[in-house]
Amino acid sequence: MGSYLQYLSENSTELVFYAQQHFLLVGYSVALASVISLVLALVLHTNQLTPPSWRRSLQVGSRETALLFASAALTVPSLALFGMLQPLLGLGVTPSIVALTLYAVYPVLRNTLAGLSGVDPAILEAARGVGMGPVRRMLRVQLPLAWPVIISGIRVAVLIVISIAVVAAVINGPGFGKPLQDGLARLGSVNSFNEVITGTLGCLLVAAGYEIVFVVVRRLTTPRGIRV
Amino acid sequence: MSDAGQSPMIALEGVSKTYPKQSKPAVAELNLQVPEGAIVTLIGPSGCGKTTILKMMNRLIEPTTGRILLAGEDVTDVNADQLRRRIGYVIQQVGLFPHLTIADNIAVVPKMLGWDKRRVASRVDELLHLVGMEPDDFRDRYPRQLSGGQQQRVGVARGLAADPPVMLMDEPFGAIDPITRERLQDEFLEVQRQVAKTICFVTHDLTEAVKLGDRIAVFAARGRLAQYDTPSEVLAHPADAFVAEFVGSGAAVRRLSLLQISQLELAQIVISGAGAAPKDQPVLSVDGAGRPSAWHHVPGSERPPALVTVPLSGTVYDAVDVMLDGRAPVVVVVDDDGRPRGALRWDALVADLRPNGQLR
Repeated sequence: MGSYLQYLSENSTELVFYAQQHFLLVGYSVALASVISLVLALVLHTNQLTPPSWRRSLQVGSRETALLFASAALTVPSLALFGMLQPLLGLGVTPSIVALTLYAVYPVLRNTLAGLSGVDPAILEAARGVGMGPVRRMLRVQLPLAWPVIISGIRVAVLIVISIAVVAAVINGPGFGKPLQDGLARLGSVNSFNEVITGTLGCLLVAAGYEIVFVVVRRLTTPRGIRV
Repeated sequence: MSDAGQSPMIALEGVSKTYPKQSKPAVAELNLQVPEGAIVTLIGPSGCGKTTILKMMNRLIEPTTGRILLAGEDVTDVNADQLRRRIGYVIQQVGLFPHLTIADNIAVVPKMLGWDKRRVASRVDELLHLVGMEPDDFRDRYPRQLSGGQQQRVGVARGLAADPPVMLMDEPFGAIDPITRERLQDEFLEVQRQVAKTICFVTHDLTEAVKLGDRIAVFAARGRLAQYDTPSEVLAHPADAFVAEFVGSGAAVRRLSLLQISQLELAQIVISGAGAAPKDQPVLSVDGAGRPSAWHHVPGSERPPALVTVPLSGTVYDAVDVMLDGRAPVVVVVDDDGRPRGALRWDALVADLRPNGQLR
């Protein structure tokens, strides 16, 4: 135990750097995934945005198809995905963010669609009845009411991506994957176990950091009338 | 109701609605005119298209054919969102925006119309007062903190917010418990007395239709307008077998609530101690303030019956109600000060009630 603390203090600069990297890697990926999912969900959800010639079954079908692709992306083994992206995007940060974004889309998309379709139809009818157009209805009524569900989807995405992010180290990506994999590769030698522990605890630390962020963001962005 | 010679506030001309993939129209060739300042209740069995008809007036449902006129202006093809801001809309499920305060809910339409903040704020307070809710208590609350009845009051206030000449109401009190509903109906009539809007009111409750409507539009299947007339005419003279069956049992009792006591010729009452009373007239004892205290003598009764009273401003329905309740064959009609103005006798009431709903 004493030696671990010594290891921490000796490598503190490096570890803080890993933590920053990991935090930002997750942040960028999930942010990107959230933007993609929101746009996709709005296009798929709003009847006004899909061509009126699409039949209802096709509209529902397109939603299901998008979810199918997103869930398929989530089931691709992370090691394989990072490996497949390497020839296309090289090593380092870019392929790491792209891969993690692909993983983060499903939970956000799923919750966004669920949140949007979970809004009470009577409220939407009232919105139409008082003369709100489709854009105003979406931005002022439907999206705010779906927001708590959407944000919990983003939170799930963050948790998933934090643990997958350690695999990014195989393509020289940033974050706690590096000490973890170094340690695993040299298991038995000096400090190797300390590195494994650090990689694991580091992920927990990042997750805890995000939990705090979410408590604050939720509090600030959820309208008071629908807070539970 | 003063609709003679005026152009109607709302007019549907040859309006039909056929939903996609259905061969028969939901509403066929409907003509309906709603005079300015009147409450018209739309009633009919489930699926008769009354809600479809209401929603075509603000084009939440677009008619397949025909024209819709609002105050003489053809609005069939104008921008639907802009049109709806000129028409109040209140629905059964209320549909308040749960993430907005009561004030913001009411302010939705005025804000869209670009009113300045001050005007919006004072309008919100004015409307909360109008629907009997103290602005300081309710302005900053959220819908879920309100009871069902309070929510619908806010729903009505939201509909009235931008002072539209026309209100469309789709069973607004349908989901509210009977006691609160009756109170809301009374308040609604009081509000209407002050704002004098043109109102279309969908209901499936005949009692409500009779109570609130200046006119009743009875619809049969596929939006056929079976009868369009005053409540007492609809109850007394159903236009056809369908309407007769629809108003059906209880029509005679319902008509009682349309008869004001003040319109009737009351039986004379003699106050006891005011000289010799003829044997065939009821004699009443009064207290010091001139208010009735007990029957002294009632012709045809061995012992004087229980004393029941009804205000002159009430309806025959109220009179019958207190008579039944008090097991009394006669009721004293009192004025606002509680002084007797005359009497209504059960046997005379039953004998003289003509099929047209008038007495004598």
